[in-house]
Amino acid sequence: MNMPEDEFVEKTFVYKFPTCTTNQEYVLEVPLKIPYGGNVKELMYRIMSSFKLPCYVESDLLQSLEHAIKTLTLEFYDEKAEKTLEDAISGNLDIEDIIKNWEKTYKQKTAEYADPIGTTDEELFAAAYHKLVHSPSLEPILQAEHKFGRDVTEVIQMRDSHYEQLTQKQTEEMRVAVESLEAGSTEKSINEMAGRHFEEQSLLQGHWGSRVDALKLDQRRQYRNWIMRLLEEQQTNMLPTPVGSPILSMPPIRPALDNFVHSEEKNTAEYPILEESFTIHLGSQMKQMHNIRILTGDVLDFCRIKKSDSGMDPTPQRLQTALGLYSNDLCGLVLLSDNHLGSYSGITKELCSICQLTTEFHFPPIDEQLEKIREDVKDAVAWRQAHHREVNDSQTKRSTGSKSLQTGDVYITRHSNLAQVHVIFHMVVNDSLRSGDINSRHPVILGLRNILKTACCNDVTTLTIPILLVHEMSEDMTVAWCTKRAELVFKCVKGFMIEMASWGGAELKNLQFLVPKGMSEEVFGTLATMLPSIFRVSNPLVFKATSTPQTPKK
Amino acid sequence: MCPALLENEERCFGGMTFFAQSHPVEVCGSNGLPLTPNSITIYGKSQFLKTIYHPNLSTYLDIIRSKHERIVVVAEYNGDPLNSKKNVNTDDILKIAFQCLLGLQYMNKLGLVHRHLSPENILFNKSGNVQLYNFGLYFMTDCGKNVSFPIGYPKYTAPEVFLSSGVSSPKVDSWSLGMIIAELLLTKSIWSGVKLSQCLRKVLSLIHCETSVFERLAREINCYNIYKDLPDKVKEFVDCCLQIHPLKRKIPEELLKLSIFEKFLLQNEKEIEKNLYRNIIVRKMDELYYLWQLAGGDITVELKKQGLIRSRPPILSIPNLVILLGQMFGRRDTAGLFDLRVVKIPLDTLHQRLSHIPYIANYPWLTDQMRVQSQEELIDAASQLPLIIRERDTEYQFYRIVLYDRLLQVYPITREAIIEEAHKDIPPPVRGAVWAALLGITGDIQKYYDMIDKETPTHTDRQIEVDIPRCHQYSELLSSGAGHERLQRLLKAWVRNNPHYVYWQGLDSLTAPFLYLNFNNEDVFPLHKILHLWDKLLLGDSSFPLLVGLAILKQLRDSLLTSGFNECILLFSDLPEIDIELCVKDSMMMYQNTPPSITYRKHQFNQPKDVNWLEPEPGTEKMPRICVDDFLDLLDNSPDRLIAVDIRNNIQFERGAVVGSINIPFTSVQLSLTHIETLGPHAKPLVENKNSIVVIIGPHDQNNALFADFLIKCGVVGVCSLQGGISALRIKSPNIIVIPR
Repeated sequence: MNMPEDEFVEKTFVYKFPTCTTNQEYVLEVPLKIPYGGNVKELMYRIMSSFKLPCYVESDLLQSLEHAIKTLTLEFYDEKAEKTLEDAISGNLDIEDIIKNWEKTYKQKTAEYADPIGTTDEELFAAAYHKLVHSPSLEPILQAEHKFGRDVTEVIQMRDSHYEQLTQKQTEEMRVAVESLEAGSTEKSINEMAGRHFEEQSLLQGHWGSRVDALKLDQRRQYRNWIMRLLEEQQTNMLPTPVGSPILSMPPIRPALDNFVHSEEKNTAEYPILEESFTIHLGSQMKQMHNIRILTGDVLDFCRIKKSDSGMDPTPQRLQTALGLYSNDLCGLVLLSDNHLGSYSGITKELCSICQLTTEFHFPPIDEQLEKIREDVKDAVAWRQAHHREVNDSQTKRSTGSKSLQTGDVYITRHSNLAQVHVIFHMVVNDSLRSGDINSRHPVILGLRNILKTACCNDVTTLTIPILLVHEMSEDMTVAWCTKRAELVFKCVKGFMIEMASWGGAELKNLQFLVPKGMSEEVFGTLATMLPSIFRVSNPLVFKATSTPQTPKK
Repeated sequence: MCPALLENEERCFGGMTFFAQSHPVEVCGSNGLPLTPNSITIYGKSQFLKTIYHPNLSTYLDIIRSKHERIVVVAEYNGDPLNSKKNVNTDDILKIAFQCLLGLQYMNKLGLVHRHLSPENILFNKSGNVQLYNFGLYFMTDCGKNVSFPIGYPKYTAPEVFLSSGVSSPKVDSWSLGMIIAELLLTKSIWSGVKLSQCLRKVLSLIHCETSVFERLAREINCYNIYKDLPDKVKEFVDCCLQIHPLKRKIPEELLKLSIFEKFLLQNEKEIEKNLYRNIIVRKMDELYYLWQLAGGDITVELKKQGLIRSRPPILSIPNLVILLGQMFGRRDTAGLFDLRVVKIPLDTLHQRLSHIPYIANYPWLTDQMRVQSQEELIDAASQLPLIIRERDTEYQFYRIVLYDRLLQVYPITREAIIEEAHKDIPPPVRGAVWAALLGITGDIQKYYDMIDKETPTHTDRQIEVDIPRCHQYSELLSSGAGHERLQRLLKAWVRNNPHYVYWQGLDSLTAPFLYLNFNNEDVFPLHKILHLWDKLLLGDSSFPLLVGLAILKQLRDSLLTSGFNECILLFSDLPEIDIELCVKDSMMMYQNTPPSITYRKHQFNQPKDVNWLEPEPGTEKMPRICVDDFLDLLDNSPDRLIAVDIRNNIQFERGAVVGSINIPFTSVQLSLTHIETLGPHAKPLVENKNSIVVIIGPHDQNNALFADFLIKCGVVGVCSLQGGISALRIKSPNIIVIPR
């Protein structure tokens, strides 16, 4: 650590001792750093040996050395304190300023002087929920969540089918009008029709939008009240079975639902799901165990709540997610997205629509979260610009002045209504990832490190990473490209995990590498075999019956 | 009936917790390695505090580092804080001041400054004695550098502390003490109910005070009448403390020399003398803390119960945005405030656990020969259990600790007994001291160590510097700054002290466990495992390590044999899980079964056996050799474990051979046929041999080696040859050579 210059002074220690034979005195001058940090006795012995002093001066030398160091140190401190005191008395120091600074630190950092912060509503609700899901109430809570969710999904499906109907009707109308352009309809009338269509569309959108929002708001209010009531009741009369569900009266939408077909039967089993798991040990001397899994699949499958067969019961994944929501074992997912932060295009849009299928009971809805992040981006851009003056990196220079997020930046959303994840790390990526040659200093790799670090510091202990840093397979991804990319990510992640041990947070327990669906079995096999060679698979200790020692006879 | 253990125990544990300051994002140290987290630095520094024992200072018992840079400090908590006391008379106030000064003086001697002195941190127990609590906070945080919160109560802090950053001198404590004593004397809290900023302003406005600060304070809070009536000497003392100018303020040592404390000093001396001969045994707090933990005590749980560790669900504080440079935005963070509260934890759990043990058990008897008197049945029953269970048995550990404590008190005359006991096991808290005893360390070791120059640069410095950050870094202790420094000093001392040896890379690992245990005395396995190994290692002699290696090899044998050399090296660097206890047991057994001369190592000195050592002939190095003394010893004491095979020809054998030996003439053996049956019926003992030692007696080492090789190939175990053959036996002990029937 670099000491500021005034933290110590050089002083000279002078020691005199008489010679035995003559009246002369030996004089010794030793430079000393004040305050002296080392062991005085050792210094004394070193002086003795380097000046070849006779042993009879030992105790005398020690005494005077100790005394000298003590007085010099006190002098040093006194001088310093006197100087500032002088400054303060004469008014050279701004006392008010000093007072303000100290007040600030006391208020910010100590519980005694800080403004009392009670438990926030958020924390209160979190505690209540966490307690309830670890009690017999778990079942009804999940049921209620599921039912609420289904109601929203149904309304949304109704909305979608109405849209479809309207669009169909409008297209048809337009087609007829265009076909009869000569016969009767004019350009003007077609324009008018287009305008009318647009109005109809937005009307419908507004209608359904407000209906969904109202429903969600209502559900959220009901749900949260119910949870708090549930806790109260459980605490007061220790009911073994919880009170009934919060669902009181819902708009009668069920009959209308039968009218339309479930167009949402998305086939996820187009490709066989390939998967392999390993247990590894990391660390050179003290080993830490981790589970590693490599599997194929669509990244959003971790978010989508699959319909169970009957549709009446919540899926087992939901149970896991509910139990872990406020625990110290969170599940995270790395999602590669663009820097638009918007819900209008790309994978973020898809994610948003998945999130909006059901009500978010715990955190703000995803669009609100994204809105808040947009605010934070402004701060981040300002911060970045302020720090650019110091950093003169060619790579960062290029992007100076950019008002949006850059490749490798990560924004984070929190969810309670997804299938297997609580936290989504959205990493901003660009097209450079499609090319073959990225190295470990690519911003996305650094972003990955930041993700791991954030995960570590916030107790995200299960993390899913797209191994190829892309979500979809494409033509130009050759076998060589895949193995090269996978090797890079494996190695970097391993390095970060070793580094993680010093971050003082939670260790990653489960690491999942996600391979885009549609990858051939051979390539998957190559990647899977690469894993145990890069991450050393733990070496089980095998006991042979013969190697058991006989216990010594007594 | 004697009272139960811990019946009248007034002492408690005090637990407090705070967060270390986390480093700003992505900073590297000057050596390119990432910075050590502050919590580890604090952990390392605070180890020193655990060695401070003083009647007026609360002993530090444990420092725990937990997730997210949290530090938990456990210390002795004896009595109640001073601010809970009302109406103390002047004499008692002076006694408090006196004892505080004693504590402060001792701290200053060690280079410590309290900086955090306040009525909350002065504990006052039933017998009226005072202990300073929390005295190490300023030290362990490296003068407050490793934490983000300020240290010290605004009201009691000396004005110069606010004016300049940087290190504080011992004189700030004099000021704080002055303020506290002034408050007690005036029987009224100074500036009570004043806002923080005003309080700071008031402290700083004192610097303009030209007269007595004490008087001014008294006037300010309308207590001038009380002030007036105070004895002059008392006023003088407070004035000495409350000097605006540090130059004029006295340090605790000087304050103690004031005439007002004269009688206390005398009294204190008398009491020390009296206590010296009072034969009461009070168990040390750190032992009790160890046992309390074994009995199920957990400081973190206690802190949680009191709400000092508030667990906010992590999902609520995760940030919104992390940009490439690692900077975070939108973090919802509220934790991390420094909470001064101390949780007082009584020893109840431990008391209950040990309630049936009589007080007298504190004092185990030793016999005249300084051996341990008969051990209780209880221990014998418990000692059959595996080590890992024994180490977790509160009661068993209590007896062991008491015993070792007793033995170590009178060391070195009890060295024999200690070795005997160490064969059973060593309880962790006393391991450091016991190791020292086993190594036969006596005399003024500290002085000797001080004399070794550990600072002048030498040519091995570089290597040491490179090795240290790579040695057992998972251990919090050894990865802290203080740990590095100590290890470096230790290694340098070793290099200095043993100029005839060369520093080698494994040495750092070798010294690490020693340092770990004797961290404060400065004295390729995970540490916790290696400790048990060393326990036994120190008991054995130099050849024991060989066997340990062998035991490890034995465990890995199956996997090793199937892989090539390079894979073997990899395997070792990867070190699979090795069952250390099994390993220790194995090597112990082998050690007991193997005659010492077989594992005799040439490059070892001070060995009684090297008298008989002969250089092996070329080509016979592989063959283990037993010396004549060991052979005779075996023959006398356990003839059933010995099979002597005489490979001289019949005629020589007929003339005279060792009792009970079998004759298999070397010339009659077909070396290529590796079946024991080819040797004929008299080789039967060899076939049935399980555990015995097969000693080959023959005149030529070359032939012996060939025959030994043959036997081993036939699957016979424990083969070795007698050094010097029959002629050596004849010289040494002619009467064992008889004419076979």
